[in-house]
Amino acid sequence: MTQHLPALVFLIPFFAAISLPLVAMRDERRAGSIALAALCAMSAAAIASLWTILDQGVVRYDFGGWAAPIGIEWVADEVAAIMAVAASLLALVCVFYAASLPTTAIEGRMIPFYAILLLLISGLAGVIYAGDLFNLFVFLEIVALSAYALVAVPGGRALVSAFRYLIMGALGASFYLLGVAYFYAATGTLNIVDLGQRIPQLLESKAVIVGLLFMFLGLGIKTALMPLHAWLPDAYSDAPDSVSPIIAALLTKVALLAWVRVLFWVVGAGGGSQPAVVFSLVWSLGALAAVGGAVLALSQTGLRRMFAYGGIAHIGLILVGVGQASHTGLAGGLFYLINDAVMQCVLFIWAGVLAHQYGVRTIEDLKNAQVRNPWILGSFLVVTIGMIGLPPTGGFFGKWYIVLAAVESQNYIALAAVVVTTLLTLAYFVRVLEKLYRGARDTGTSSSVAEPVMSLSFRVGIAVPTAAIIGLGLFSDRIVTILLAATSGLGL
Amino acid sequence: MINTPHDSVIVQSSGRFLIPLIQLFGLYVLFFGQYGPGGGFVGGVLLGASLIAGLLIFGPDGTSSETARRVLKIDGFGLIIFAGIGGLCLIGGGEFLNYSSFSIPGIDDSTRRHVGIIVAQIGVALDIAVAAVSIVYSLSDQGEDGSDA
Repeated sequence: MTQHLPALVFLIPFFAAISLPLVAMRDERRAGSIALAALCAMSAAAIASLWTILDQGVVRYDFGGWAAPIGIEWVADEVAAIMAVAASLLALVCVFYAASLPTTAIEGRMIPFYAILLLLISGLAGVIYAGDLFNLFVFLEIVALSAYALVAVPGGRALVSAFRYLIMGALGASFYLLGVAYFYAATGTLNIVDLGQRIPQLLESKAVIVGLLFMFLGLGIKTALMPLHAWLPDAYSDAPDSVSPIIAALLTKVALLAWVRVLFWVVGAGGGSQPAVVFSLVWSLGALAAVGGAVLALSQTGLRRMFAYGGIAHIGLILVGVGQASHTGLAGGLFYLINDAVMQCVLFIWAGVLAHQYGVRTIEDLKNAQVRNPWILGSFLVVTIGMIGLPPTGGFFGKWYIVLAAVESQNYIALAAVVVTTLLTLAYFVRVLEKLYRGARDTGTSSSVAEPVMSLSFRVGIAVPTAAIIGLGLFSDRIVTILLAATSGLGL
Repeated sequence: MINTPHDSVIVQSSGRFLIPLIQLFGLYVLFFGQYGPGGGFVGGVLLGASLIAGLLIFGPDGTSSETARRVLKIDGFGLIIFAGIGGLCLIGGGEFLNYSSFSIPGIDDSTRRHVGIIVAQIGVALDIAVAAVSIVYSLSDQGEDGSDA
C-alpha cells in the first residue's frame, strides 16, 4: 500500500477538484470545507509518503503498471517527498486562512474557484514527482493555467495582470517545450534517469546546447528570474487575497525545483568539468537576480509588490546556491527553497490580513493604521529575521549553506552577491518595521480606534507558517542531512 | 454566432445528414481505440464537433443544441469516470490505471483490461466533448444558461 502514496498525494486533490461540482451542487458554501478536507488528506498522504521513503528508500511509481521507458514514471525521492510535504501543508494553511476572507468576489462562482484551486495544488504535486520532462511540462501547465484563472478572479486591473501573466507564461511554456523537443531529438528519451545517462556525453552537441538554452529560457520565465520577471509583481499584487499566498509561496518554487532537476539530474549527472560553464551561467544569473530584485524591492511603495520583488531576489539566491555545483550548495539551495516558500506564504497572508482588517496596502498606510495586534506585529518580526537571515530561523541556515558553498568553491563574487542582497533585504524590511512599530506606539495618544477582532483562521494562517520559519531553523540540521544524503548519488 | 439558425437550406439539410454520421464515426473511433489508432480523445473531439455543428447550424433552439446545453451540466463527469476507474485499480491493489487490478469479481484478467480501458476511454471522450462545447459557448456571446451575456 505504501508505494501508492505519491500517487495519492496527487489524486486526492485532483479527485476532489473534479467531483466538487457534483458534491457541492446544492450548497456552494460547502466547497471550501470540502477543499480543506481534501488538503488535510493530501497532507497526511504526503507526510506518510515522506516517512516511508526515509524508511524504505526511493519509490518509483509506474502508472498503469508499465515500467519506465514505455510507461509514465513518477520518482518520489527524498527531495520530492520533502517538497510535497512542504507544498501540501502550505496549501492547507493558505486555504484555511482564505476561509474567513469575504467571498463577495467569488459569490456564485465558489465551486469553480475551489475546483481550480485544487487543480493547481494537484498540479504542484505532479511537478514535484514527475519522472520525465514531458510530464513535468504538462503539470507545469496545469499549475500555470489554474493560476491565470485564479489571478483574474477580482476582475478590473487583475484581468490585465492575468492576461500579461498568461502571455508570458505561455511563452515560457513554449520555450521549455521546444527545449524538451531538442532533447528528445538528440537522445530519443524524455525520462529524467535515461536523459541523465545520455545528455552528459552529448553536451558538445549543438542540439543539446540549443535545447538547454530554450529550456532555461522557459524555466527562467516560469521562475521569474530577474530580467524575465516582469509578469510577477503585477500578477501577485493583483491576485485576490485568498490565493496570492499560495501562488507566491509555491508557483515559482516548483518551477525552480524543475530547473534543479534538469540541472543536476540531467545535465550534471555525469559529473566532470564539462557542465561547469552551465553552472557558472546559472549562478551569475542568480547573483544578478538577487541583487537586482532586492534593489527593486527597495523602491516599491506597495507592500505586496515589495514582497514579490523580495521573492524574486530570493529565487536568485537559491540559484547562487545551486550554481556552485557542490553538494553543500545544492542541499543549501533546496533547503532555502523550502524556507522561501514558507516565508513568502507568511508575507502574503500577512499582507492579506492587513489589507482586510486595516485597509493597509502600501507602506505609507502602515503609519496611520496603528496596528497593535500582537499576532501581526510578532509574526512580522519573525519573518523579518527570517528574510534577513538571522538565527534561529530557517532563513539563516539556508543562507549559511549557500555562503558556505560559495566559500568552498572560492567564488567571492557569489559571496558578495549574497551579502549585498542580505543588506538590501535588511534595508527594505526595516523600512516596514519602522512604520509598523511607530504606528503601534502612536496609539497611546488616540486609543479611541477599536482594534478589530481577528478570526481564528487569520490567527492560524499567520501563526502556523511563522512557527514553521523557526521550526525549519531548529530542525535544519536534520533536513539538510536528508537533502545531502538524497543528492549524494549525483556525480558532482 | 450561435444565436440564430443558419439560413441556408443546403447547410441545414446536409447538417441533418452529417451530424449523426459524425457521431457514429466518433463512437466507432472511440471503441476502435482498443485495437488500433483512435480512442477517447479523438472520439470525444468528434462527438464534441458534432454538437458544435448542431449549435452552428440549428441555432440555440434546435434539438441538438438542447443536447449540447445538457451536456454542459455534466462538466467534469467524464473525468470522474476516468479517475474513478483508476481509483478502483488502486483499491484493487495495483497502480493507478493498472487495469489488471481493476476490482470486479468474477471476470478474468483479459476481460478486466478490456472493460477497464473502454470505460476509462468513455470517460475521456465525455470530458473532451464537454470541454469542446463549453469552449464554443465561452467564445460565443451567449451565456451557458442560454441568456445573452
